[in-house]
Amino acid sequence: MSPWHEEYRRRYARLKGAGKSFFPHAVFKDALVAFLIFAALSLLAWKFGAGLESLADPTDATYNPRPEWYFLFLFQALKAFPGSLESVAAVVLPGAAVLGLLLLPLIDRGPERHPFDRPLLTGLGILGLIVVGSLTVAGLRSPLVNPIEEKDPLVAAGRRVYQDMNCAYCHKIRGKGGVVGPELDKVVGGESVEWLEKHFRDPKSVVPGSAMPQLHLLDDEIAALAAYMKSIGDEPFTKEAPRLFSEHCAACHKIGREGGESGPDLSLIGSARDKAALKRAIADPTSLNPAAAMPAFKDQLTDVQIEDLARYLSSLGR
Amino acid sequence: MKNALILARDWIVERTGFDRVWEVLFERHVPEAKGPAAWLYTLGSASLFVFLVQVVTGSLLAMNYVPSPDHAYDSVRFIGEKVLCGSFIRGLHHWGASFMVVLVVAHMLRIYFMGSYKYPREGTWMVGVVLLLLVVGLGFTGYLLPWDQKAYWATAVGTNIAEQTPFIGPLVAKVLKGSSELGAATLPRFYALHVLVLPAAMLLGLGVHLFLVVWHGISEPPERARRPGEAP
Amino acid sequence: MTCGRGVEPEGEVMGRRSFLARCAAVLGAAIAAVLGSTGLSYFISPAFKKDEEDWVDVGGTKDIRPGAPVKVDFVARKRDAWAVTEKRSSAWVATKDGREFTAFDPRCTHLGCPYRWDQAKEQFLCPCHAAIFDAGGAVVSGPPPRPLDRYDAKVVNGRLLIQPIPRRRAA
Repeated sequence: MSPWHEEYRRRYARLKGAGKSFFPHAVFKDALVAFLIFAALSLLAWKFGAGLESLADPTDATYNPRPEWYFLFLFQALKAFPGSLESVAAVVLPGAAVLGLLLLPLIDRGPERHPFDRPLLTGLGILGLIVVGSLTVAGLRSPLVNPIEEKDPLVAAGRRVYQDMNCAYCHKIRGKGGVVGPELDKVVGGESVEWLEKHFRDPKSVVPGSAMPQLHLLDDEIAALAAYMKSIGDEPFTKEAPRLFSEHCAACHKIGREGGESGPDLSLIGSARDKAALKRAIADPTSLNPAAAMPAFKDQLTDVQIEDLARYLSSLGR
Repeated sequence: MKNALILARDWIVERTGFDRVWEVLFERHVPEAKGPAAWLYTLGSASLFVFLVQVVTGSLLAMNYVPSPDHAYDSVRFIGEKVLCGSFIRGLHHWGASFMVVLVVAHMLRIYFMGSYKYPREGTWMVGVVLLLLVVGLGFTGYLLPWDQKAYWATAVGTNIAEQTPFIGPLVAKVLKGSSELGAATLPRFYALHVLVLPAAMLLGLGVHLFLVVWHGISEPPERARRPGEAP
Repeated sequence: MTCGRGVEPEGEVMGRRSFLARCAAVLGAAIAAVLGSTGLSYFISPAFKKDEEDWVDVGGTKDIRPGAPVKVDFVARKRDAWAVTEKRSSAWVATKDGREFTAFDPRCTHLGCPYRWDQAKEQFLCPCHAAIFDAGGAVVSGPPPRPLDRYDAKVVNGRLLIQPIPRRRAA
């Protein structure tokens, strides 16, 4: 036993004797802090809830994966290390930090407790805080590589119904699926939502002699499936649309061999973006990607023109 | 009425020794901390409080949750849309997780900068570091459970980081995921860790941690060391 | 702030003690009230949930003629909390006038055997214990304790909707 241990025990016993009872003095402080924390928690829970994005989709290539905020510093640190040294940032450094923390009382065994009496450890602590803090801030600020696509939740629900009911056994969308029924992206564009809903309720009621079975869907499933069908269907664009493109877009964008090269080639854009996303991109590209160099067209083109142009572009590459 | 209460209390005290427990836990003396620093001593109990909130809200959420890729997302949506106060309870649990991390780290920083991990409280600190790891583990496993895009991709990133471990990385990732893909085998695994294994370990660790806190007494605020020859 | 600063003079130690204790109790009770009430609501929320009416579309009414009950098979797709369940089931549908329809649960009220319609006798016959019901579902002979169970049925836009929950009728 180190000589100062005995002295510390005596001094602590004296301080403890002179101190106050845990209840109610400390308990009151604890209760007040707990109350404030709970008030803040309740406010956040009530105002913002917990949020729920669309269903996990392992095939989605447009999502921006981010870890929970308290792992963000680790995620950000990975960017600073090149491939072969990645394991250093990912595992070795955090592992060493945890081990260091665990063994800290065995390393630092002297009687000094005041932060100014332990300049090395105090400095190390502050340095660690600054590193983790600035990495977290950098992670929060780092631009998203993929544009944020707002997906209509009803359309997403409809896609699930389409998968759950195995519609692709008979139908094709974008060339994928069975051959028994019609190719949906080619035929549903012209139909109204009412017609689609009636059709899903009982196909024979609108298409006499239809070979499609009655699906017994629930009302909300029917609405979702109709929304999904509307989202995939090609909608007719006017002759005006290609002219609008060559007038406003072709300076920077290419379709086929025509057009400029400063912006992305749009020859196959319809296979990557749906009409709604294209409309937003034309109206105001910064709403999808804050760093976009493309100007906003919402003041130069009318809503009808933007719709027309988006229909034209979404038909490309399908 | 009052007599009956006193009688009931005496009956319990006589059979449980509750008065002695109360004395040891609550009537113990604590060295006085002065000024705003005194409030830093509430961080530990605040962490304990949020943990209890997580236990209560988590138990409720578990009543409506199914850890399978087919139903997880729908059952979480059901909680938010169809259960009375469901979105509030889920909100508490969600924000509670972040608060828990912040409070536990803040608590650790207090101990670190005040040097409170020193003799005789080394064991308390070490158990505390383990508790911090358990909190981080609870956050990581809980984040996957709603099975939405955010959950899925955050966990994909996390398990890929684990895969970077030298030599045993791929093995670690596979054990974590229960398969080489993040999917049907992963969700129940994370759920069992999140609601059974980690909370049980947490309770055990908390028991030891709190016992040691009471046993050694709460550390006094640090003073500058005296130079040799200086008057005490 | 009323709780933070001690209002009692230094001498009255017990006064300040019980004051702080009371403040702590009030704060604790406030937390418990919010967490307790919302948690309890969450726990007992099934008690407030109304059973939804699930009308199942079983087809057009044109094929069902008076005096000739028809067995209709249908799939009842139903939302059960977060899951969707699908149950195949059937009903015997009879009509007197082609306007009002009666749907019978397809199980004999004796031991649940599937009965059938005998067009020649114009009666429902049960194969298990030779029970006989008339076209209105009343017991003609045999062991059944009560008439055939019915489903609620209604006609909307020429389509027959039924609610496949058996409703008992007194003997």
